[in-house]
Amino acid sequence: MSQSLRVVYSAFRMAMLHWMADPQWVIPNIIAPFVFTTVALTLFKDSTGPFGLYAVLGGGMMGMWGNTLYSSGFAIEFEKWQGTLEEVMAAPSKLIHVIAGRSVSNALFGLTNMIAVLLIAAAGFRVSLDIANPVMFSVALILTLISVSALGLIFASSFVLSRSAQALTNGLETPLYIVSGSMFPIALLPFWVHPAAYILGPTWGIDAIRLATSPDYASQSFWVGMDPSAAIILDIIVMVAITLVYTAVAIVLFKAVEKRARIKGTLVQA
Amino acid sequence: MSGLRIFLSSAVFSFRAQFDWLNPSMWLTMKLVLSLSQMAFFVFVGLFIKGTDAIPFIAIGNAVQSLSWNTVFSVINITGHDKWDGTLPLVLVTPASRLPLFVGRAMIHVFDGLLSVAISLLFAGFVFGVDFVQTNFLTLIVALLLTAFTMSGFGLFIGGFSFHFRNPMVFANIFTFILLIFCGVNFPVQDLPVPLQAVSYAFPLTYGLTASRSAIAGATLIDVAPVLAQQLFVGFVSIMLGYLLFQAFERSARKTGKLEAV
Repeated sequence: MSQSLRVVYSAFRMAMLHWMADPQWVIPNIIAPFVFTTVALTLFKDSTGPFGLYAVLGGGMMGMWGNTLYSSGFAIEFEKWQGTLEEVMAAPSKLIHVIAGRSVSNALFGLTNMIAVLLIAAAGFRVSLDIANPVMFSVALILTLISVSALGLIFASSFVLSRSAQALTNGLETPLYIVSGSMFPIALLPFWVHPAAYILGPTWGIDAIRLATSPDYASQSFWVGMDPSAAIILDIIVMVAITLVYTAVAIVLFKAVEKRARIKGTLVQA
Repeated sequence: MSGLRIFLSSAVFSFRAQFDWLNPSMWLTMKLVLSLSQMAFFVFVGLFIKGTDAIPFIAIGNAVQSLSWNTVFSVINITGHDKWDGTLPLVLVTPASRLPLFVGRAMIHVFDGLLSVAISLLFAGFVFGVDFVQTNFLTLIVALLLTAFTMSGFGLFIGGFSFHFRNPMVFANIFTFILLIFCGVNFPVQDLPVPLQAVSYAFPLTYGLTASRSAIAGATLIDVAPVLAQQLFVGFVSIMLGYLLFQAFERSARKTGKLEAV
């Protein structure tokens, strides 16, 4: 156990050092959420209603999403470019521990992305950032971050084998923003998209975050008519359950992918 | 004749080079997914905030903007791939004339960008119900062709600028996404703060969107000619500025010996 934690910590530390060595990589991670939030805020500037809540919190969530997804895909691509993926795979440590360490560091940067988007919205568009229930907001935020990271692990496993990880990352980013209803109620989406929204942990996470920010949102929540505090707890329970499933799936996928890569030898030229 | 050969081979190789990291089926998937997903995201945001009236403006805006992924993002990244793949020294030692070499590398992306717009406009019509009944197709085709060409000129300009930095992909991301804010893609340029509106007209896409929307509303080529003339001017200036930046980089690289890691 302690050995696994040591691997996770080392991977976390290396990822942090890479970020500090080349901080310009922050820009690709944050640019899409920043632009999408700016466009949404400009669109609703003359409107009334809960749009600010959706635009700002949605933009922040997208900052976390974008960072985690982008970093998960790019972590593998980066190893391929540097020619170090073979060494990582050949080391006796489990690949999932290495990627988990990176995911924790990505999640941390994701949090800073969210804060950056919120500050830009507050400073540039004078959107109020009052939070009705700061404790539940923080709990929901941290658990959402973990949920996003667990989903990132699933993506990372498939990115090990794909030569097109970077393209996949670019292609998956916006569909996930749509399906999770980051900036609008998922009721607007066609009904056949709803099941996909419900199996995404962040969909429930953003519902809890919105409820914790403003009790007025209760009428648009998944738990209409319920007390906001109880609704937040229900959102969190569903999200934690989904996150546990993500983690289990990621463990199985990593084992399968690692085995396949070793047998077929299609690691770098996949 | 030699200039034309360099232009054509530069165009073909720069396009084929992307398949070193992207397989053709993924290229097609990305083209379909990116076109639809970005448009869908903003259409749903617009629908939520402004209702169904906002859909045509946003869908057409994103359809035309989709060509930026090819003509700006991919064109800027040519510079990045030259650095990452170690081909930049080979490009710089070749005796080939620099102008066709530099401009040619963007040209296939013009056609690739037009394919993206065509797919996106089909999505706009069939998925989001945009009405093309009034469209003057000749005007629309000319406007889109010029937009793709001039935006690739803009991509070359930023690509020329990016030669001077270690990581051009950062610029590719910034300059592809900020078009969504400045060019009237999702809201009219007039909704921006007045000082920022001037910035909008430095991007050829702003003119292209105006002309394309007019064409879809039935405007003739003569109606949109002044806008297209301004767009051509901005595009030409972009290409020449990009070329000058590329030449400056080459001079500096030969003098200092710094190539990939500037």
